Amino acid sequence: MTALAPSLVRELRAICGDDGVIATPERLLVYECDAYTMEKHLPDAVVLPRTTEEVVRVVKTCAAHQVPIIPRGTGTSLSGAVLAVDGGVIIGTTQLNRILRLDFRNRRALVEAGVPNLSITNAVKHRGLMFAPDPSSQPSSTIAGNIAFNAGGPHTLKHGATTNHVLGFDLVLASGDRVWLGAEPDGGDDVEGYDLRGVVIGAEGMFGVITQVLVRLMKTARAYRTLLAVFADPDDASQTVSDIIASGIIPVALEMMDQPITRAIEEAYHFGLPVDAGAVLIIELEGHEVGLDRQLHRVLELCRKHRARDLKPARTDEERAALWKCRKGAFGAIGRISPCFVTQDGVVPRTRLPEIMRFIYDSAKQHGLGVANVCHAGDGNIHPILFYDERIPGHVEQAYACSTEIVRRCVELGGSCTGEHGIGVEKVDLMSVQYSADDLAAMKRVRHAFDPEGRCNPHKMFPGGKRCLNFNPARQVAV
Amino acid sequence: MSLVAYAPDDLTVSVTADTTLAELQQHLARHGQWLPVDPPHPDRLTIGAIIDGNLSGPRRYGYGTVREHVLSLRAELADGRRIKTGADVVKNAAGYDLCRLFTGARGELAIVREVCFKVQPLPEVEQFVEARFPAVEEACAFVEKVDTSELTPVVLDLHHPGGAGLWTVVVGFAGMREEVAWQRQEAERHGALTDSSLDHDRRFWAAAHAGPVRKRAVLPSALAAAIQPLRAAAVSLVARAGNGILYYHGGPEPPAPELPVKLLQRLKHEFDPTNKFPAGTS
Repeated sequence: MTALAPSLVRELRAICGDDGVIATPERLLVYECDAYTMEKHLPDAVVLPRTTEEVVRVVKTCAAHQVPIIPRGTGTSLSGAVLAVDGGVIIGTTQLNRILRLDFRNRRALVEAGVPNLSITNAVKHRGLMFAPDPSSQPSSTIAGNIAFNAGGPHTLKHGATTNHVLGFDLVLASGDRVWLGAEPDGGDDVEGYDLRGVVIGAEGMFGVITQVLVRLMKTARAYRTLLAVFADPDDASQTVSDIIASGIIPVALEMMDQPITRAIEEAYHFGLPVDAGAVLIIELEGHEVGLDRQLHRVLELCRKHRARDLKPARTDEERAALWKCRKGAFGAIGRISPCFVTQDGVVPRTRLPEIMRFIYDSAKQHGLGVANVCHAGDGNIHPILFYDERIPGHVEQAYACSTEIVRRCVELGGSCTGEHGIGVEKVDLMSVQYSADDLAAMKRVRHAFDPEGRCNPHKMFPGGKRCLNFNPARQVAV
Repeated sequence: MSLVAYAPDDLTVSVTADTTLAELQQHLARHGQWLPVDPPHPDRLTIGAIIDGNLSGPRRYGYGTVREHVLSLRAELADGRRIKTGADVVKNAAGYDLCRLFTGARGELAIVREVCFKVQPLPEVEQFVEARFPAVEEACAFVEKVDTSELTPVVLDLHHPGGAGLWTVVVGFAGMREEVAWQRQEAERHGALTDSSLDHDRRFWAAAHAGPVRKRAVLPSALAAAIQPLRAAAVSLVARAGNGILYYHGGPEPPAPELPVKLLQRLKHEFDPTNKFPAGTS
């Protein structure tokens, strides 16, 4: 923590009111980390502005005092990207929570930064529309947080991630200057100049504080076919995924869960999932009613070819909803397996899925750890969950070593060290595994253009940042 | 031209920037795949030019511009350094998304040398239909009906030959046989349709003598109003009506946009301080 000038807290209170500024250590504890709990730092203060104007005044005040600013939504991120590594002022967007305008004709919504992802869909679904990105955190994660990480979700496979559905936003730079990037609320989709909107999405809040967002709404599909496919051997399940993609069918979602996670979910939700299966796939097709059965038939054939033990299409909307509830509640059920766990995130080319799955099981075994897998298999996006016992000396280090080994393997196989959780503080060292020094230098140029002082969300993304791994994590929940 | 890597089973392909779009599509078609972007002149248009201009064509309504399909880029910076940005997989959250920044930057920030795309299976069937109207307002009302219906066309274009001709709306459907047939049948409920093609777009871009092509982007609901001032000039035009993108030959200049100029200049300066890649040369 830096020693904040007492006058700064007074100035922040003058802008946001007494109830809009948190500066006592007990109350600041909530903001010491996000859902990545291996590392913690207390901010000096947290402000909760209610308007863009208040954000601008807060940012200008912090600029005058040369204090770091850290934008933060609801803290569901998984890589420590909202840690106040050097102290500073966290600018929380949770009070910026109004839906400002719904334009059904042009399929757009203008919302404030702190509006939760799912609230957008809830506000438009009666018109057959939705906001497509669907991270498991969608009831609570904010739209600006989704922008920070280019959030995806199971349905990213067909619909794309946040960057494909955010048209523009209001950004307050670290200097306090306010810019609208991308399409304007009353303007057309294309804007002249470089795609500044696109480079801010996924930049983990390092380019400024977003206050308003213009999103694109999508038509909700009229018909679905959702299938639970049960396999005795996890290898057969991952081979099926690979074959479905190669066959030219693009399901809207193609998820895989192995036995440990399926068992935990079944114990938690009593859905009727088979607890003795090696792995299950959730396969969803969507579109117009006509033609869907023919696609489903091809998918069923591919499942049978790989020795699927059981194939259960959802017969009703309720069954379909229950299936997705299980999948999205997967991480909530993990506490039943182990009190301590770490969730990883990596991507491989889809044909390498069987290979990386085998690697994960072998690696966990070698490190003496338990492992469960739930993944966006159709995207090649893995999420192994490693279980450890912090009471056993060295076990936490084993979990960390195993995690790193798996993610490095993803990069070696031609993939990425993160598909959706981001770099944050967690994976800064892996950036130089995936990118060359020149690649990273080019990224830093962009940062320098947006924030020459590097004061907005410092010590993230790039190797060489300050670290303080405490190896004392309690637990992590994840997407 | 060269195909650097093609993994049909992963639905990814890497090509050098000097490859033409037609060459790339030929390779992909052998495996029943394609890159779903269709800017004019695919025989001579290179991948590099498509990236520089973030180009697209009539199918933009269904598949977006090329930016939506780029997974990674290899580029040469003004100081000669060669970098790679993005990853050759369909999902990647590591690092800033310079692919988006460079795509559409008209070569002013870097020279793109190689591109990895996410490709798609070719649709089983594509079908185009059209409806003609005497007045632009009627044509736009038809566009709105289709756009807000449960139909999911991949093309929703409006075009006019200039002068006193009719206003034509072209709707395209793609996908499985049954669903394309069903969508066409449903579309008939909004107006009488006849078989069509994308020839209108080829004609528009081939008409070099008709003056420079200008572009305007408006809300789809504001398209008829945006066309009004062009009618006096009797220019030929084609609009991606579902996207609110209007192209026209000659006629009045579009209004100048308000841009975050300082930020754009700072970015340019970071990547190319000596202006080695001046604006307007790509």
